[in-house]
Amino acid sequence: MVKFGIEFVPREPYWKIIYFAIQAERGGFNNLWVTDHFNNRNVYVTLTTVAIYTNKITFGPGVTNPYMVNPVFTAQALASLNELAPGRVALGMGAGDKTTLESVGVEMQKPLTAAFEAIEIFRRITSGEAVAYKGEVFSTAGAKFLFKPKGRIPVYVGAQGPKMLEMAGRIGDGVLINACHPKDVEYAVTCVKEGVHQAHKKLEDVDVAAYTSFSVHEDIKKATKAAVPVVAFIVAGSPPQLLERHGIDVKKAEEIKEALKANDWGKAFGGVTPEMINAFSVCGTPDICTERINELLKSGITQFVVGSPIGPNVREAINLISQKVIPRFQQSP
Amino acid sequence: MDYPKLVATIPSAKYPELVDSLIDAILTTKNDDKMLPNLASTILHEWQLDTLETEEGLTALLEASFLLEPEKTLAAVEALQLVDVAEAIRQVIPPKPPQKS
Repeated sequence: MVKFGIEFVPREPYWKIIYFAIQAERGGFNNLWVTDHFNNRNVYVTLTTVAIYTNKITFGPGVTNPYMVNPVFTAQALASLNELAPGRVALGMGAGDKTTLESVGVEMQKPLTAAFEAIEIFRRITSGEAVAYKGEVFSTAGAKFLFKPKGRIPVYVGAQGPKMLEMAGRIGDGVLINACHPKDVEYAVTCVKEGVHQAHKKLEDVDVAAYTSFSVHEDIKKATKAAVPVVAFIVAGSPPQLLERHGIDVKKAEEIKEALKANDWGKAFGGVTPEMINAFSVCGTPDICTERINELLKSGITQFVVGSPIGPNVREAINLISQKVIPRFQQSP
Repeated sequence: MDYPKLVATIPSAKYPELVDSLIDAILTTKNDDKMLPNLASTILHEWQLDTLETEEGLTALLEASFLLEPEKTLAAVEALQLVDVAEAIRQVIPPKPPQKS
């Protein structure tokens, strides 16, 4: 049975996120992911509060990166959270966002290697080992916790490109695929399968999650309007090949990018077309969203993550998903 | 305002609708910085226990909603014809800033 995840961005104050987290847990969501960006509130402060106020939902950073946060610190934070909420913690680790990293003067060197090494260090140190590690990007000299970490923490690899997706299949307990459209998700799952095959695992051993930009409302226009700003940013950050795969005019995407740079929101958001909405979001009424999720399930995903904006009104959207979407995936065949 | 005293005047049959309106005002506000940490803790604690629709829960919500969104709070109590509560809010509601001509 497919799992449902939800993403929160701690640009919102903790009390709003925690309200929604409790609501999501009651509404049948299985996973909760909190984004990690230096310009928002701290992910681990938010997750600690999630741990205190919830009882069964699995949660973690979705996703952190090893450039801004050293993997030893990430391991310490997750191991500590796992004491607060045993068995409910998961790590989402990716290579990070180049633009954000550059804005703080951090160079994104060897992203694939960095993510691989970070996960290796994370796993070894959270298993209680004294880690002497000499990698190309990271090294440790016998780093060991002075407390005993409890239990194994699953690692989800945040991935978009083919090599990272393949690595996710090879070494991950899960993969967070940054895609919304069946074409993109199908391609991503093929890459994940390749990695799974290389590691002599089964695809069922990996929780394959589509991490989507999602917006639901009973009024399709309202759902779409809420998705537009997020889609504008996705379009602006997408490589030409991806845009072309969806028949999106690269020139139009460039215009949106320029408008966003100039803080001309009217022009940027006004440039978003229905094709862009369709390619880079799951949005509409509960029926439409259910149909889109069903399409994605055919690609082999096992978790569907409801990401920003969730809906024009987040509380209403969580209620709609809990009452009109999730139950349709819980019925026995 | 004496929030517990005001809440005591509200018929319990009107709690669900009022709670819903106040939560909506609180969660959609742009005035996040006006939330008091202890009030946020009380609301989250009541929500965790699913007891927002009690006198204690409603008291915390009314206080928070008034701090963050006084106009919306007034509109919510007026919509439910809670005359005494509306009057109490009107007496202390901050004046709107003068509009530029």
